[in-house]
Amino acid sequence: MSGLILDGVSAAYRDTTVLHEVDLTVARGELLVVLGPSGAGKSTVLRVVAGLEPVTAGRVLIAGRDVTDLRPGLRNVSMVFQSYALFPHLSVAENIAFGLEVRDTPRREARQRAHAAAETVGCAGLLDRRPGQLSGGERQRVALARALVREPDVFLLDEPLSNLDLSLRAEMRSELRALHDRIGATMVHVTHDQTEALVLADRIAVLRDGRVEQVGTPDEIWRTPASSFVARFVGSPAMNLLPADGVLRPTGDAPALPDEPLELGFRPEAVTLDAVDGAPATVDRVEVIGEDAYAYLTLATGHPVVARVPAARRPDRAAAVRVAVRWADAHLFHPATGHRFVP
Amino acid sequence: MTRPDTRSRRQLALMLAPYLVGLVGLVLLPALVTLALAFTEYDLLRPPSWAGLDNFVGLTEDPIFRVALLNSVVFALVAVPLRVLLALGLALLLHRRAVGVGTARTTVLLPTAVPEIAYGLLWLWLFNPLYGPINQLLRIGGEHGLTVLGRTPPQWLTDPTSARAGIILMSLFTMGETFVVLLAARRALPRDVYELAAIEDATGWDVFRRVTLPLMAPVLALLAVRDAIASLHFTFVPAFVVTDGGPPPYSTTYLSLFVYQTGFEYLRYGYAAAATLVMMVLTLAAVLVQWRLIRRYRGRYLS
Repeated sequence: MSGLILDGVSAAYRDTTVLHEVDLTVARGELLVVLGPSGAGKSTVLRVVAGLEPVTAGRVLIAGRDVTDLRPGLRNVSMVFQSYALFPHLSVAENIAFGLEVRDTPRREARQRAHAAAETVGCAGLLDRRPGQLSGGERQRVALARALVREPDVFLLDEPLSNLDLSLRAEMRSELRALHDRIGATMVHVTHDQTEALVLADRIAVLRDGRVEQVGTPDEIWRTPASSFVARFVGSPAMNLLPADGVLRPTGDAPALPDEPLELGFRPEAVTLDAVDGAPATVDRVEVIGEDAYAYLTLATGHPVVARVPAARRPDRAAAVRVAVRWADAHLFHPATGHRFVP
Repeated sequence: MTRPDTRSRRQLALMLAPYLVGLVGLVLLPALVTLALAFTEYDLLRPPSWAGLDNFVGLTEDPIFRVALLNSVVFALVAVPLRVLLALGLALLLHRRAVGVGTARTTVLLPTAVPEIAYGLLWLWLFNPLYGPINQLLRIGGEHGLTVLGRTPPQWLTDPTSARAGIILMSLFTMGETFVVLLAARRALPRDVYELAAIEDATGWDVFRRVTLPLMAPVLALLAVRDAIASLHFTFVPAFVVTDGGPPPYSTTYLSLFVYQTGFEYLRYGYAAAATLVMMVLTLAAVLVQWRLIRRYRGRYLS
C-alpha cells in the first residue's frame, strides 16, 4: 500500500505554474528524497502535500485517503521547516507537545509523549530550555521531535539540514537515516544537496522546472541518469558532456550507435589521463582536495573535460596528457531532448 | 571600542547641538522652572513668593483635584487597554492582502490624521443628543425619541457617566498609530509558525492565544506603556473642546485640564506646577510598574 501518491498534480503561484502534472508514489515506510536546483518546485511538492498550497489539477492521496480538498490539519502529516519554525516563547517540551495540545490531548499524556519523542531524537535533556538557548543542531532535533510526536502518516522535511554546518550536517544526515529505519515512517525529504540525497534516500525524485525528471534508487540515478540534466546535477564536479562524433572515442566494445548526433557523458572519475591512444589534451588547472585532484583539461578540439586523479599522480599545469574513457563508463544522450539514449 | 578621537567627538557635539539646545530650552529648563514654581505662589503679576509645601498640602485637600485624579486614573485604566485591543483586533483583521483592505486601513488611520481641535468639534456634533448622528442611529426602530429597548438614548454631554464614556469613545478612534505599529508587528511574524499551526490543526482561537498573542506581547506591552504616558494628553482636547470639564460635578475634568484651568484661567501658577509634578510622578510610577511587568515577561519567555 502506498504512503503517498501525487497523481498529475499541478500547482501555481499567482499566474506562474510551478508544478506540471507531477506523478509521484511513495511506498509506506519509504524515504523519498526530492532533489533539484532552487526554483525547481521541490518545496512546492511538500506544501501541496501538506495542503499549504492548493493544487490546480490532480489529486493527493495520503495512506490511501484522497486529501486533495482537506485542510492541512486534517491530512495527518508532520512537517519540519527549513527554519524549524519553533515557537520562541515556548519551552522545548511545549514546542514538541504543541500539536498534541491544540488537538486536546490531556496535558499529562502530551508531556509524556513529548518526552518520549525527545528521547527518540536525543534531545530529552533540553526539554526545559527555550529555542533561543539552543544551537542549530539542537533546534533541528527539537523540530524532528515535534514532527515525531503525533505519529503522522507522512513526514515532510523541507531542507532540514541546510542551516547546519558541514560536519553537523553529515552527522544529522546519518542520524536521520537511522531514525527513519527505526520508526519505519513514510518520509519525503526535500534537498538541493545531491550528496544528502544519495546518502539518505530509498529513492530519489529529481525535479527540474516543476517536472519530475527521473525517479529511482540512488544507484539508478547515479549509474543510469535518465537525462543529461540528471547526469550533470548529480555528481560533483558535474559529468563531462561532449559531442559523441569522434571528439573522444571511448575504448572497449562500442554499442550500436544510430545515425544521429548524440552527446557522450562520463564522470570525472572515469577519465584516465595516460592512455597511449587517448585524445590529446592540455591541463588548464589542477585542484587538489586531500587525496583527490581534479584536473581541468581542454581537448585538442577545444572541448573542456574534468578528470579526477589521485593527488599523488596529478599532472602539472600546462602538461600534455592523453585522455581516455571506457564505453562501460559512458552515457549517451539525445542532445535536443537531453533524454538518455538506450541502444 | 576605541575612543572616538577629538575631531569626531567635536563633529558629534556639533550635530547634536540643535537637539540639545531644544531639549534644554524647551524641556529641561521649563521642567526645572515648574519644579521651582511648585513651591511658590505665583500669579504672573506679583513676583513668586515662597510657599513651601503649601501647594501640595492644598492639593490633598482640594476636592476638584481629587476628582480630576480619579477621572484620569479611570480613563487610563479603561481607555488604554481598549485602545490597544481595538488596534490589535483591527490589525489582525487587516494584515492580509485582500480586496478592500487598503481602503479599510486608510479608514482606520483617518481619524488620527484629523487635527485635534477639528476632531473635537466633529464629536461635538456627533454627540448632540437631539440631532447628532449617534443618537439618531440609536433611536432607529424606537418610538417617541427612545431606543428600540424603550430607553432614553445617552445624554452624551449632560450626563456625567455618558460624558466620561464619550471621552473614552473619542480616544478610541485615534489609535491609528498603535494600529500601524501592530500591523507592522503582525506582518513581521514568521509565516512558517502559522503554517505549522495549520498543519497541527490549531483553531483560530488557539493560534491567537498560543502563537500570535505571545509573539506580539512585547510590542503590545510597549504600546500600552506609550498609551499610558500619552493618556494624559488624549483627554485634554476632548475635555477642553467638547465637554469643557463638565457636566457638573467636574465629570470630565482630568488632570491635564485641571492644570490648564488652574494655571491659565485662575492664574495660580504655583498650584498648577505642583499638580503637574504630581501628574508626572504618577505617570512615572505607572510606567515603572508596566516596565517591571514587561521585564518579568521577557525573563520568562525570551531569555
